[in-house]
This record gives sequence, C-alpha cells and structure tokens, in this order.
Amino acid sequence: MDRSATILIAEDNASDRLLLSALLRRLGHRVIEAEDGAQALQLFDAVTPQLVLLDALMPPPDGFEVARRIRARSDESFVPIIFLTSLQDPESLAAGLAAGGDDFLSKPYNATVLRAKLNAFLRMAEMHQTLQQQRDEIARHNRYLLNEQEVAKRVVDKVAHSGALQLPNVRYVLSPLALFNGDVVLAATGPLGNLHLLVGDFTGHGLAAAIGAMPLAQIFYGMVGKGFHLREVLREINARLHDILPAGVFCCATALSIDFADGLVEVWNGGLPDGLLCRGDGLLVPLVSRHLPLGIRSARQFNDAVERLQVAPGDRLLLWSDGLPEAAGAGGARFGEQRLLEICGETPVAERFDVILDAVHRFVGGEGQVDDLTLVEVTVVPRAEFAGAVPGRIADAAAQKWHLVFALEAESLRSVNPLPLLLHFLMEVPGLRSRSGQLYTVLAELYANAVEHGVLRLDSALKRTAVGFARYYRERERRLQRLTEGQVRFELDYHGDHNGGVLCIKVADSGAGFDFEAWRDGSTPDHYAGRGLALLERLGIRLSVPLPGNCVIVEFRWNDV
Amino acid sequence: MGITTDVAAGGNELVIKVAGRFDFSVHQEFRQAYERAPVRAQRYVVDMGGADYLDSSALGMLLLLRDHAGGDDADITIANSNADVRRILTISNFDQLFSIE
Amino acid sequence: MNRGQHLDEQALQELKAIMGADFPLLVQTFLTDSHQRIVAVSTALESSDADALRRAAHSFKGSSSNLGALQLAELCRLLEERGRDGETGADCPTLLTQLAQEFHHVERELTLLAS
Repeated sequence: MDRSATILIAEDNASDRLLLSALLRRLGHRVIEAEDGAQALQLFDAVTPQLVLLDALMPPPDGFEVARRIRARSDESFVPIIFLTSLQDPESLAAGLAAGGDDFLSKPYNATVLRAKLNAFLRMAEMHQTLQQQRDEIARHNRYLLNEQEVAKRVVDKVAHSGALQLPNVRYVLSPLALFNGDVVLAATGPLGNLHLLVGDFTGHGLAAAIGAMPLAQIFYGMVGKGFHLREVLREINARLHDILPAGVFCCATALSIDFADGLVEVWNGGLPDGLLCRGDGLLVPLVSRHLPLGIRSARQFNDAVERLQVAPGDRLLLWSDGLPEAAGAGGARFGEQRLLEICGETPVAERFDVILDAVHRFVGGEGQVDDLTLVEVTVVPRAEFAGAVPGRIADAAAQKWHLVFALEAESLRSVNPLPLLLHFLMEVPGLRSRSGQLYTVLAELYANAVEHGVLRLDSALKRTAVGFARYYRERERRLQRLTEGQVRFELDYHGDHNGGVLCIKVADSGAGFDFEAWRDGSTPDHYAGRGLALLERLGIRLSVPLPGNCVIVEFRWNDV
Repeated sequence: MGITTDVAAGGNELVIKVAGRFDFSVHQEFRQAYERAPVRAQRYVVDMGGADYLDSSALGMLLLLRDHAGGDDADITIANSNADVRRILTISNFDQLFSIE
Repeated sequence: MNRGQHLDEQALQELKAIMGADFPLLVQTFLTDSHQRIVAVSTALESSDADALRRAAHSFKGSSSNLGALQLAELCRLLEERGRDGETGADCPTLLTQLAQEFHHVERELTLLAS
C-alpha cells in the first residue's frame, strides 16, 4: 500500500525539479520544493518532512552538506535522505552515505524505482516511529511502576521497620539496595517488659509483599503492645495473612519473645533458615524451622507451638533471611550455612555480627551487590538494663500529669456509648494497658449507675427477678428516649510515669444522689443504689461517694517496679 | 521446554516434570500443565529430577497446584529432588503439605 | 532526421502522462534552463575552468536525460568527462558545437510536441 508523506526536494535544476514534483504528487505525496541547499535547510526546519530528496550537486551547500546538517539537527526521528544524482563512482556514493544519505536515485527519474524506494523508506520510518512510541510508553509505564514501588516501600518502611529497633541491644541490617525486597524486621516490647522480635521474608517482591507487610506489622505492634502472648500474635497474623494473601504468597518468619527477668526465650520459626542462639560459653544452638511459613495454614490448622530456651545475659540470638546463605559469589557458589557456622565458631561473640557482614561482602566481591541481606542480632541483657521503648502514640518515658473531663448531655446519653472512647484513651497510658479489664469494669459500672439511677431514676430492685429484669430494661429505654435534661460527667485525673501512677476516676450525674454510707451499712431501704457499686466493692475497689451522693470516686493506683 | 507432562496410572495420575530452573519464568507453563491437562487427575507427581534450582516463587506455584488439586485433600508427591531442592523444601517444612520422595 | 534519434519516444509518452496539462510548462522550463547551461559550458571552456565545465555539463546531462534527449545527454557526459580529466582544450570546442546543434534539434521537437 502506498503511504503518503510530506517530502522535501532540493534541486537547483528547474525542469528536473518540476518533473520530480509532478512525479511525487502523482504518487499522492505533499511536495515542498527548495531551489538550493540553503533553502532546503530552512524548509526542513519549518516543515519537518518525513523524507528528503536532495540533488547531490548543487552550489554550496550541496546535497552532501545539507544531508550532514540535517543529520546534525535530527533528534531521534528517522528521516530518510535520498540523493538525486547521476554520480556512479564508488567514492561519491561512499561520500553520500558518509554524509548521512540512505540511498541514491539516478537520472533520468524512473517512476517505478522512485515509488519503490519511497515506499520502502516510508515503511521503515513508520516502523521506527512505532517502535519509539512503544519504547516511550514502556518507559513511562516503568517509571510509573517504579514510583508505585517507591511509595509502597516508604509506607512499609514506616510501618514495618520501626518500633523498638532503636534499642541498644538490637542490631540489624536490612538491605537498602533492592527497591523493595519483601523483608521485614519488627521489634516491640510488651507491657510486662518482654521483647518481641519478628523477622519476615515475603515471597514475591515489590507490591505483593507490601500488601502483607502492613497487616503483619499492625497486628504485631497492636497485640504485643496490649500484652498478648507471642503465640496469640502469631496465630492472629497467620489468620489475617491466610485471608488476604493470594494462594502461593506467604511469609517465612522467625518470631521470638525474650523474658529478660526469667532468662527465657520462646522461638517460632516457619520457613526461614535456622537462626542461632550463641551462648556465652560458646555453644551454638540452632533455632530450627519447624513450621510452615505464615499465611499458608488456615486458622484451624495453624501450629503455634514455640520452643523454649534458657538464656543468660551475654547470650546472643542471630537471625537472618535466606539472602545471606544464598549470597552468590564467584562462579555462582553460594555462601551457605556451613560457612556461617564456621564463622560463628571461630569468632568471639561480640564481633560475630560485623565479621559475618564483612565475610559476605568479600564473598560476593565485585560480582554484584549483596542483595536481600537481612541480619538481626539481639543481645540478652539483665532485666534492669532493658529499657524497652514501647511504641506508643504519646511520649511516655517522662512523668505525665493530665486531667480529662468528658460530659454527656441528654441527647448524647441516648445515642453515644462513651466507654470505648474513654478506654481507648486510657490505653495510651502504658501502665494501664495490662489493667484494661479492671478499668473497663469500673467505668462501665459507674456509668451504668450514673445513667440508670442518677439520671433516669430507675429502681434496681426490679432487676432481681427475671420478669422484673425485662421490665427494667424496657423502662430504661422508655425513659432514655423521653429524656430532655440530664448529664453524666467523667473526670479523669492522671499522675504517673513508667514505674507506676495514680488514676482518679470521678463519675458524676445530674440526679439527686443517694446516701452511700447509709446504703452500705443497710440502714436505708433506698434501692436506688445500683448493684454495680456493690460489685466494685467486692472486687476490692475503694469507692468514695461524697454527699449528696451523685458522684462516685474511684482511685486506681499501680506500681510496675 | 521447562515443563512437560505425562499421564499415568490409567488417567488417574498426572506427572509434571520440571527441568532447569523452577522459578517465576515457568509460572505460566506450570499452571497450564495442570489446568489444561487432558484428564482430571486424582493424584499428582511433580518430578524434580531435571530441576537444578527452586526458589520461593516455585514454592508458591506448588501451593497453587495444591489448591487446584483439592487443598487439604490433595494427593501430591514431589519426587526426585536433588540436595539443594530438598534443603529448601525441608526449611519451609513443605513435607507437612506434600509427600516428598 | 527523424524524431526518434533526438528524443526517446517512450520516455516522452511517460512524461506526457506524468505531467498532463503541465507538459508544455515542463518543456518551456527545460528549454529556458538549457540555454543557460549551454552558456555555462561555453564560459567554462573560455576560461579554461575544468571544474566549472564538469559541473555545468553534469547538470545539463541530468535534465536532458530526464526529458528523453539521449543524444544530448551523451554529449554532456563526454564534456563532463573532459572536465573531470582537467581538460578544457582538445576536442571540447567540437563537442560544444555538436552539443549546440543537437540541442537545436531537441528544442524543435519538444516545442512541436508541446504545442
């Protein structure tokens, strides 16, 4: 099929120029005519033709010179140049090609030959353009993907590579080279002072791994912070990953929990190369991979069994992902576990981390980068030395003092449950985290008391029978819906630090109150007082209810030393 | 060809042979081997005799096969693994999911 | 002399087909141009400029061949050769005369054709 194009011709011979134009126009092309070299260059810049026909012999600049200058200008576009010439000698032809010409057309012009050459070159130019467009699109797409990966990496870095990794007894190396290599290292301290560590290696790099790393980290930090046991954390992580990750994507991981006070380590390894417990006496105990990686087993089948090992201050735990044993050296040899064990055997404990890193780098040598290298070392220290930084959202190292007032009016009493909000706020306080159960009980009972007896003025005597119970709650609902005036007010007063503290909870209502002391020693038949307060007293929580009795104060003290 | 298949045991068993590197580059082929198999096999054998390398994406592919073959009810044997392949299968404890010979 | 000797019949047919209504214009342009070229050759010989001879003859050769004036083109080629060899003497004047004469015939034929 004949392609049609814009063609520039430069020919100083008028009749030849006329003839050539006519020929080209008959073939369906648009012709731009130049009478000499200088004009040809001007028109080339102005028009950007798809093909150029140049008479070789013109007064300067002649065809060859024009060709050279055109080539000098051209960016990446492919503009075929055909010389019009009767020159036959090899030197001239060679000079033509050297100047940047692609072909020659001799005089007299042959319409068929001209047509054939034009078609061939225009087809090539079109292919060239297509290739470039595709290349540019691929490059664009690539940049886009790389950018996405970069974003994913930053997100994951924030979540997955933070926490307690700034502790002095934890050393680690995460390869900075791979844009995103699927490795995560998480560390957090529980409320009782246990250090939890998780090293993970997701299959699939880039975004596939990012999808799993986020929930992994969130669950880990969330649960460890709330005092859950390692086994429960792993169970939850496995269940979530099993749900989210597609079949075939999983996370090899080693998790450990160190109780510095008891000198005990619990280890769970699913799919990572065996880690090492390096005892102070030189003994090397492998931390064997006994489980399937996370995300493969369903929640029902997940095996959370941990291995328990005694440790003493000075012992070190070494963990690594498979990037280390698989590091490739000259001739494709792998670094291997054997070499690692040998190094550990020969090197003093305190130097092992650095010696291993150095050995791997030297092994890989100039071959390439040490990709995917993750190495973590935890040193066992005496409990007193361990200053576990708990990842909290409020600064909790220094002493704190704050006062919170939270009041609910009638409309809010109808529709808002303040307890989750208050509890969530209180969980920011490190010392209170392990006491969330108790706190909840206190707040819930005081609140129920304030609402039902203080504001709604219900008689709790009703609650003693089954039928009465149902009536009570119907009545409660009825009165709540019709409530126009009333208030329940929480006042929380906190003073403490990471060793202990005092939380004073005061819940007041807009009701008439009651005589607490009289109620307590049974000297009044007043049944307005709730069961709840009795419950709290039985739990050993000291209440004080100053007259007129519409406010209950509970003092919470704790000590973590 | 990295992946070839064979039907045995009167149509009940599908043997998938892996040659060369068992990595992401054979992902498509491996999947098609069992998805487009001429028979609906009860038993699968992944013959690793010709495979000299296995990475985590290969483990993923085995999991996908297991999914296809019925999950917990799947009957899949991984046969003729060399030392390197066996080591990787052992570390990941895949013997809890597959028969390894 | 019949036309066949001065102009290539087939080439002319094609030219007519290509140019259509512009055929007379092509002829006119050629003829005007050609006068200038003959002058150029003559001047070159007069000033013994072999390079100028070469270039002028080469150019004339091209346009002549395009118009089907093969004899004319051949004479041009010979003069071009002389010029390349650095020659402006020898048989150049003779060739020039022959050139002029041949052109005279071509001019006549083309003009008749174009009318």
